[in-house]
Amino acid sequence: MDWIFLSELAINGALTGLLYSLFAIGLVLIYKASSVPNLAQGGLTMLGAYVVVALSHDAGLPLWLAIPLAALFMFALGFGIERVALRRLAGRPVVMILMLTLGLDIFLRGTTLAIWGGTSRSMELGVSYDPLFLGDIFISRIHLVGAAVAIGLFVAFMLFFRSRTGIKLRAIADDYTASWSVGISVERGVGLSWALASVVAVAAGVIWGEVQGVDQSLSLLLLKGLTVAVLGGLDSILGAVIAGIILGIIENVGADFIDPLVGGGSRELIVAAVLILTVMIRPHGLFGRHDIERV
Amino acid sequence: MQDKAEAQPILSMNSVEVLYDNVMLAIKGVSVQVPKGEMIALLGSNGAGKSTTLKAISGLLKAERGRISRGEIKFEGEDITDALAQNRVQKGICHVIEGRRVFEHLSPDENLTAAAPTGMSRSTLNAEKEKIYAYFPRLAERRNSQAGYLSGGEQQMLAIGRALVTQPKLLMLDEPSLGLAPFLVAEIFGILQKINKEEGMSVLLVEQNALAALEIVSEGYLIENGRVVMNGTAEALKSNSDIQEFYLGGGEGTDFHNVKHYSRRKRWLS
Repeated sequence: MDWIFLSELAINGALTGLLYSLFAIGLVLIYKASSVPNLAQGGLTMLGAYVVVALSHDAGLPLWLAIPLAALFMFALGFGIERVALRRLAGRPVVMILMLTLGLDIFLRGTTLAIWGGTSRSMELGVSYDPLFLGDIFISRIHLVGAAVAIGLFVAFMLFFRSRTGIKLRAIADDYTASWSVGISVERGVGLSWALASVVAVAAGVIWGEVQGVDQSLSLLLLKGLTVAVLGGLDSILGAVIAGIILGIIENVGADFIDPLVGGGSRELIVAAVLILTVMIRPHGLFGRHDIERV
Repeated sequence: MQDKAEAQPILSMNSVEVLYDNVMLAIKGVSVQVPKGEMIALLGSNGAGKSTTLKAISGLLKAERGRISRGEIKFEGEDITDALAQNRVQKGICHVIEGRRVFEHLSPDENLTAAAPTGMSRSTLNAEKEKIYAYFPRLAERRNSQAGYLSGGEQQMLAIGRALVTQPKLLMLDEPSLGLAPFLVAEIFGILQKINKEEGMSVLLVEQNALAALEIVSEGYLIENGRVVMNGTAEALKSNSDIQEFYLGGGEGTDFHNVKHYSRRKRWLS
């Protein structure tokens, strides 16, 4: 057994996993405030990446300005989505809202295709592609940057959900009617959660855009992001971070063992197996809140 | 008594009709006045329209696709018939909804924080919390546990405490006694009376437990089939023979068969 190679796989797997977490935090934010899984998070991430590319490469702005501007735009867009689409559906069955987010994802994919075409564009963050050596272990720099961003966002949102506004958002997720009854603006709360998730989408879009290029395939991150969010428990930010690390390691190490046996492609299988097994064995994930039933 | 009834009521609801889904008429011209600083009860059996009346006042009809199709509601002389629920809370109406409905995954302390009006300073919020914990010492003991695991009585106390954080002038409660042991009902009603006296808070209480309610309110309305069929002082209602027969268990103390039957019916009616 080559321990150095194995730990290299594990460390890079964990870093990739944290990039999944970066994406999954957006899902968790919306779920935490409205109990709806947002199937458009992939579309939002892709749009976030495109907006940054458009501002930096097409409009010629420096990245340090383009990224905050894109975040601001996406923040407003998140609020807009609630105002235009979700508000009408308040009180309807969750499956309706789910379908709406799916429709939104398709809409975003179509829109970016129409505006920017289908060819992959590069983000050009300026992070060196030279690997970093930790002893004998290779580590990708961009993954390290992405993991740091994920952990930064994790800390920020942990603090946020203890603040008064954050507590109100958690209250909304618990009970819409009770929230209305004490004067919480459910509409504004849901809007805020979408706005924040859209900002997270910019962060995820920038990092993933740098890793795999900016095109419509960024929206497919939803599958891995959703797996991480479900494994973590859908409403737990800590869960999203830890589940991301776990999934990343299982995927990277597992694929290395299984790929030679089946001739490749086992990554997707591992992710699918994790998602299915989580739902079957532990539907609330690692850290998800349980429905409380008192007898 | 006479003077108070003649003063301007804090809440006046005039001939209000409520439609659900644009077809189902739930209340048909209900008029209710709450004099400032008084405790008023809405009595009646299940499906009579008591909860709908409260929702019309608090603006929670929208969540159930109901709307006020006729009539008007005035709070402190101001028309609030079409106001948003959150604006009514700001003006001072808070509705403790039926079934307790605390924020289960939050702690009692966070439940109180969640209800704090935007712009309430941290020190005011803490003072409010301490006041509420003083009214409900049981909550103080469990302030950091998970609200979903509190007992029924504690959850009802938390639901009332959560409403008090909004600093209401009119507190409306929907069946606070539902599913609680008689000694808890007495405890909670005692605290309501205390709050009413100490803070001068007006209270509108919806109850099926007419016997308990008529002990603490000054005036009551009896609602049947979406209409007010009787209105009078608590004393007058208690001595009315129809009320005694149908709502107080024949005037021979509490008839628990009757009470039990009503709460069982509720499950499929509402």
